[in-house]
Amino acid sequence: MSVESIVTPADKILITGSNGFIGTRALENLLARGFFNLRCFVRPSSKLEKLQKILAQFPAAKNVEIVAGDLLSREDCRRAAKDVAVIVHLAAGFDKSFAGAFMNSALATRNLLDAFLELGKPRRFVNVSSFAVYSNFKMERHALLDENCPLETEPQARNDAYGFGKLKQEQLVRDYGAQRGLKWVILRPGMVYGPGKSDLSGRIGINTFGFFIHLGGRNEMPMTFVDNCADAIVLAALKPGVDGEIFNVVDDERWTSKEFLAARKETKNFFSVWLPYPLMKFGCGLWENFSKKRHGQLPPVFNRRRCAAEWGGNTFSNEKLHKLLGWSPKIKTVDAMKLFLAQYK
Amino acid sequence: MKLRIAIIGCGKIADQHVQAAHRIGNCEIVAVCDREKLMAEQLAERFKISGVFGDAEEMLKQFSPDVVHITTPPLGHFPLAKLCLEHGSNVYLEKPFTVTAAEAQELVALAEQKNLRLTAGHNYQFTLEMLEMRRLVASGFLGGAAVHLESHWAYDLSDPTYVSPILGSKTHWVRQLPGQLFHNLISHSTARLAEFLDDDVMVSAQAHQSVRMKNLGGQEVQDELRVLLRDGKGTTAFLCFSTQIKPGLNSFRICGPKNSLLVENGSGSLLLNRAGSHKSYLTYFLPPLKAARQHLRNARVNIVDFLRGRLHQDSGMKELIEQFYVSIRQKNAPPIPYREIVLTARIMDEIFAQIKPEDSAT
Repeated sequence: MSVESIVTPADKILITGSNGFIGTRALENLLARGFFNLRCFVRPSSKLEKLQKILAQFPAAKNVEIVAGDLLSREDCRRAAKDVAVIVHLAAGFDKSFAGAFMNSALATRNLLDAFLELGKPRRFVNVSSFAVYSNFKMERHALLDENCPLETEPQARNDAYGFGKLKQEQLVRDYGAQRGLKWVILRPGMVYGPGKSDLSGRIGINTFGFFIHLGGRNEMPMTFVDNCADAIVLAALKPGVDGEIFNVVDDERWTSKEFLAARKETKNFFSVWLPYPLMKFGCGLWENFSKKRHGQLPPVFNRRRCAAEWGGNTFSNEKLHKLLGWSPKIKTVDAMKLFLAQYK
Repeated sequence: MKLRIAIIGCGKIADQHVQAAHRIGNCEIVAVCDREKLMAEQLAERFKISGVFGDAEEMLKQFSPDVVHITTPPLGHFPLAKLCLEHGSNVYLEKPFTVTAAEAQELVALAEQKNLRLTAGHNYQFTLEMLEMRRLVASGFLGGAAVHLESHWAYDLSDPTYVSPILGSKTHWVRQLPGQLFHNLISHSTARLAEFLDDDVMVSAQAHQSVRMKNLGGQEVQDELRVLLRDGKGTTAFLCFSTQIKPGLNSFRICGPKNSLLVENGSGSLLLNRAGSHKSYLTYFLPPLKAARQHLRNARVNIVDFLRGRLHQDSGMKELIEQFYVSIRQKNAPPIPYREIVLTARIMDEIFAQIKPEDSAT
């Protein structure tokens, strides 16, 4: 797994969110590449069995530091960023409110960046973002969605607090790059799946009304298996010459929503209803208008922007990921799906 | 008169205040302020508010708002409210009103001295079903003064976005409050008791930590509270706060010498329990049918209120803010009497003094 790198194994790498779904895989990936001078930042309330299990697989990982703290605390960020050369910023606080999402994403990142520039030995900041930052509202259905596509300009109208937080977080990272010389790479993973994440993506459908409504139809899913995604993130942390680049992360082979749902149902069948996109779009339009007219009496959870983003459908590309990072998915989709579906058995 | 509004504290609850103010009309949010200026900026950007500040005093000097909504963590309530009153602004203070009753009394005295108005964010007192309950009580439905009150409030620990940060850090602002988790969560359930109790209240409180909280790593944080109260007139009350009761219970019962009322806040329902007796087996048949009729009536009322646009997920906040603004414009008494605000704070002081969370760390 050797790769040309901007850091040596002697340089310290910080992974935030290292106990999370992707973070544990990123940690494992770095350890497998011989990087043991790692610092794992975790929430104080985290249960660390998964992380400890990974560390136990690597005898040389005995010096890996685990730092518990809150990224909203500047002091905790200082402890985390001291002497660090690369930060892989995976921590993602989920909050339904816009203010909460902003705090957990942008504010936490601001604290981390300040500490990194103050006390670290900064070579690169890897910011893990999301497809939620894109808007395909004005794009044709099934048009190619790549790194050059427009970003969402109305997250409030889309009622997407998470996307708002991620947009602001990205903006902050770019601003620190422009104003304070921070070297950064941004990754935007698509639909990350794998063992440990049992819920189906909202792109496939929703359970809001007590039964599963399949909304993805024959849309291509921007799927990326968690280990493949983690591999891309680690490459983005190490590879020289990619500062200031943004990468969408999707695997080579991408199933349709219908195929994904059918595979899921093979493990355990459940009732679902398919709703064609035009009907959903019409319903979302009605809901949005009612919500506006009634000043949010119904929160705008269904709206045209969300409808387009989640169920309108796009095609995707990972060309840049292949070309600049030399990445290719280590686990083929057919095997990845087996690993994913095994958790339901 | 179009009121000029400002908000100090741009966290999660601030959005609700902005949205409620937008629905009221005849008022304009002119400025927002947060010690963390990025927070003020994100709120201002989303709601297109022109004034953005990181310093409250500077905002007060530049904008002289008619009303300031203070939506910061509670430790900042007293100094900020005092500052606003001193600058001539009326103040809507989120719950808990202050950290101590002494602070509450001082704010009330200052507001009265300055001829300004204050209110507490006890918005659950102003939901549609609570307004109807109050109307019935005022019309004499109970058949006399309240004999007994019960207030149940459940909080679901399964939402990690609230609890995890609190448990994760001893320095979290909730952990700095004398009553910790309770301090931030029992204002509503206490305020509705204070409304019907006189000032001469005796309090007997017990608290403990649930097994679930312990397993979540709650350390010394208690999450189960039971309180018995009795006032000078002999009206008794029971307050129950729980993280364990499922399904979540959010109700208020007021019993009179003749009839009783039960408010189910969770479903926006009001149940009227009238005295009466039935012969023989009819006592098993008729009361459940009458109760069923009331449930149907509640469903019908809620559907009609929804269709008419009256029933809103935060109807209580909009109603309270609207009444507060009316009191400012018309120079009337504010919607929540100061006596109730101070009594709520006094009861909470007494509860926290009795349960002493630090003693139960084992």
